[in-house]
Amino acid sequence: MNPAAPLKFVSSNRRVREDRRFVAGQGRYVADIALEGLLHVAVVPSPHPAARIVSINAAEAMKMPGVHYVLTGEELAKATEPLMNGLDTPNVRRYPLAVGQARYAGEWVVAVVAETRAQAEDAAEKVRIEYEQLAYVIDSEDAFDPKSPPVHAGHGSNVLLDKTFVWGEVEKHFAESERHLSFRVVWGRNSTVPIETFGVAAKWDPWREMLDVWASIQMPKYPDQIARALRIPLNNVRVHFDVDVGGSYGVKRGIKQTVLVSHLARVLGRPVRLIEDRLDNMRAGDAHGPDRIFDVEIAFNDDGIVNSMKMRALDNVGAYAGRSPFQLGKPIGAIVGPYKIKSVQYRAISVTSNKAAQEAVRGFGQSPTNYAIETAIDKVAVALGLDRIEVRRRNFIRSDEFPYLIPSGTRYDSGDYHTVVAKVRAHADYEGLIRERDTLRAAGQCAGIGIAACLEPSGGNSSFEPLLNEKNTTTTWMDSCRIVVDGLGFVTATIHTTSSGQGHETLVATVIGEVLEIDPDLIRIVRPDSLNSLPSNTPVGSRMAIMLGGAAFHAAQKLKAKIIKLAAHQFGCAEQEVIYAGGAVSHGASGKKLAWAEHVNIAHRNFHLLPEGMEPGLETTHVMQVPTGTKLPENGRVQMYPCHSFEFHLVLIVFDPVIGKPEIRRYVIGHDCGTVINPHIVKGMTLGGIAHGIGASLLEEFVYDSEGQMLTQSFMDYLLPSSHEVPKVEIVHHCTPSPFTVFGQKGSGESGYLGSPAAISSAINDAVAPFGISLAKLPIRIAAISDAIAAAREAKAKVKA
Amino acid sequence: MKLDIGGSETIPGSADALWVALNDPKVLTRCIPGCKSMVEIGPDAYKVDMQLRVAAVGGSFEGEISLFDKEAPRACSIKVSGAGSLGHGNGTARFEIEPDGDHSCRLIYKGTGEIGGLVAGVGQRILSSVSKHLIGRFFAALRKEFEAPVSGAAE
Repeated sequence: MNPAAPLKFVSSNRRVREDRRFVAGQGRYVADIALEGLLHVAVVPSPHPAARIVSINAAEAMKMPGVHYVLTGEELAKATEPLMNGLDTPNVRRYPLAVGQARYAGEWVVAVVAETRAQAEDAAEKVRIEYEQLAYVIDSEDAFDPKSPPVHAGHGSNVLLDKTFVWGEVEKHFAESERHLSFRVVWGRNSTVPIETFGVAAKWDPWREMLDVWASIQMPKYPDQIARALRIPLNNVRVHFDVDVGGSYGVKRGIKQTVLVSHLARVLGRPVRLIEDRLDNMRAGDAHGPDRIFDVEIAFNDDGIVNSMKMRALDNVGAYAGRSPFQLGKPIGAIVGPYKIKSVQYRAISVTSNKAAQEAVRGFGQSPTNYAIETAIDKVAVALGLDRIEVRRRNFIRSDEFPYLIPSGTRYDSGDYHTVVAKVRAHADYEGLIRERDTLRAAGQCAGIGIAACLEPSGGNSSFEPLLNEKNTTTTWMDSCRIVVDGLGFVTATIHTTSSGQGHETLVATVIGEVLEIDPDLIRIVRPDSLNSLPSNTPVGSRMAIMLGGAAFHAAQKLKAKIIKLAAHQFGCAEQEVIYAGGAVSHGASGKKLAWAEHVNIAHRNFHLLPEGMEPGLETTHVMQVPTGTKLPENGRVQMYPCHSFEFHLVLIVFDPVIGKPEIRRYVIGHDCGTVINPHIVKGMTLGGIAHGIGASLLEEFVYDSEGQMLTQSFMDYLLPSSHEVPKVEIVHHCTPSPFTVFGQKGSGESGYLGSPAAISSAINDAVAPFGISLAKLPIRIAAISDAIAAAREAKAKVKA
Repeated sequence: MKLDIGGSETIPGSADALWVALNDPKVLTRCIPGCKSMVEIGPDAYKVDMQLRVAAVGGSFEGEISLFDKEAPRACSIKVSGAGSLGHGNGTARFEIEPDGDHSCRLIYKGTGEIGGLVAGVGQRILSSVSKHLIGRFFAALRKEFEAPVSGAAE
């Protein structure tokens, strides 16, 4: 590309091509896949948080109409390998159904297969299971206690991971600092609860030895995991990626569901489908997010400069591990946020408990960590009586200091935090906002300004895997694209994964259109099945603009280079002498020109006109390595993600001190994700991310009672933000291109969500500060606010009396 | 989740008649909401089959009821445990009967229970009001037994 040439399609106001089918109700989801002879599954959940399975009696269930099979965990475990485990904890074994013992209330114990889901559900009620209740543990600190009953007896304790990293001279910086403060904050267990629950359909063809899988999936190495679990060759597994996914943001990792139905399809010789209902999904879809306690100590100077931080993060992953402990690893790549904190001690603890298993959620653990860091910065400002934005400005990495190496080994690519903050301040009229807050307070209302600045590490690779598990030596997390120009000159390009609303088809078409200078709307984007795919991962880690966009860019560059070579050969000149423009190639000196159709004709039909050694046809591929991702960790340090988007939130929240129901009066976000490829997609991500963060900070939580029962299994109790809670959001744009990507783009798949919980907590804590109290656990429910204020008022009245 | 119940009810019958009724599975089958059958499986021990609706969910419940610490004809403890598509539950309660004239008496009860599974997750916010409602239905039916005895009662 000519870097000076203006971009034609990238960053332009173009419609998201996928939206047409979604808005018209013409998406093709897993429930739309019609398979002849399809059977349906319903599951029997464990009522106990921990219980030995004494006996299972399926005789009555088998007599029910339409029933084909009743599968127990014991039978399934004989036929399959345990599901993938990220850490080196071989005795924490997980199967799709409980084997011998149930480890959380709701865990699937038995699967019933019938002609219809309704018949399967009716029969599931007839399965009689005798349990012997066992000791259980729910609370995170209790689980960390060596005396707690281990969820996996074979593992010996509930501690999956307890690793302390020290990056830099932490003790020295603490000793040298004029001030210290410490606090605890708690991130409640929530998730993304997509409207479409997880669903999967599988079909086994014994004559072709082929397992076909259609799923609402967003899982890295999904086909590999299926093949390993079922003990069949990977080329016997064909995952169909051309299935629309109705929302995910990390959680659609349904490997247990997939192995379950795949096994059943093989046993029964009929296609089998499991689509979770809301209760299946909420209590045992194994899709809850981080559940984390932070203990933070900060060392700082009187001028607000933060020198060092000690952080202990204790995460409760629930009954099984999978990849979830890695959610403590990813934030290491931005452990100092946008600040020049010189040294960090980070203790990452992951424990099992008798809660549902945790899965990846938007940001892979980064949003909770950002909440802890931002709470620390707010507390430093309050302790010093300084303005909270000013303290952030003093600690920000300056734009001329990039690339900036943080203590934990990641080099941040680029940023201009001071400018973004200045733009937001000016747009929002920060001083005016403070006046408005104070006016509201004078009128008897609680009013607070929330501030949060944070990073979105993007371009995800998996460096945290070898960092937390030395046996893991993964250093690539590639993504790929193939471009084919057919014999009539039409362009088709490939995506080798499913998408869950990220607009990847628009992304690939826009990038290829830009490089080849052809109309993106004329480019067909397809998703071959896994057996026809190039090596690829999945849209996790805010990576696809960088990785799929990068792969499409490089494949298009290769195609363009081939066309130029082909044309120069026709002109009998050097490749450097020709000009490629709009799909045509011209030779300035002779005035010769070859149109797009002519390249196509030569490549497809005139082998005699091709340069020596050139393959016929017009097809190129590119397998993209994550930029900057080259090495294994050394001494607990590693380059994590290549790119770092920045967001700065400024909000005003108001509520009545007696009622305590927060109203977000103003929400302004400054957002810098480098070059934006499609403004609509980035805007949608940011607005949705903020709504998601409002849920995490004010409403959503998977609550367990002390008996290990989950109390928020339906949307009556698990509260989602609606249009009443989500305010109008004003987005202030800024663009600091990344030097590591093809257009300077960075990720935005987690934007908004990574800072909004911190900002909302900041606003509420500012609002209740006049009462001398703080609220240190998310979500901050209405009752928590009003109760805390009432208690503070009562205590004050007592003192007076 | 834990559940506490307690209260007192006036029954239009003598204390002795109430004692007999409460020990009669036929009466209990008619009075316990949703009770389909109650089969004696041992001394003071019964197997019960119930069909109930709680909040948005309905389903079956199979359990055992046993009576113990009997102080005939004035006091008795009852233990209930069971499971079904609605979830599982168990609890104990103590009943005391106080005469209140010749044709009336008071039944005082107090107990605790623990409930898990579907009901706990879906119906927890209304569970205490549902339990009050179910207890209310039980007593309404029990009073009816004394107001207009049907054949089979207190024989």
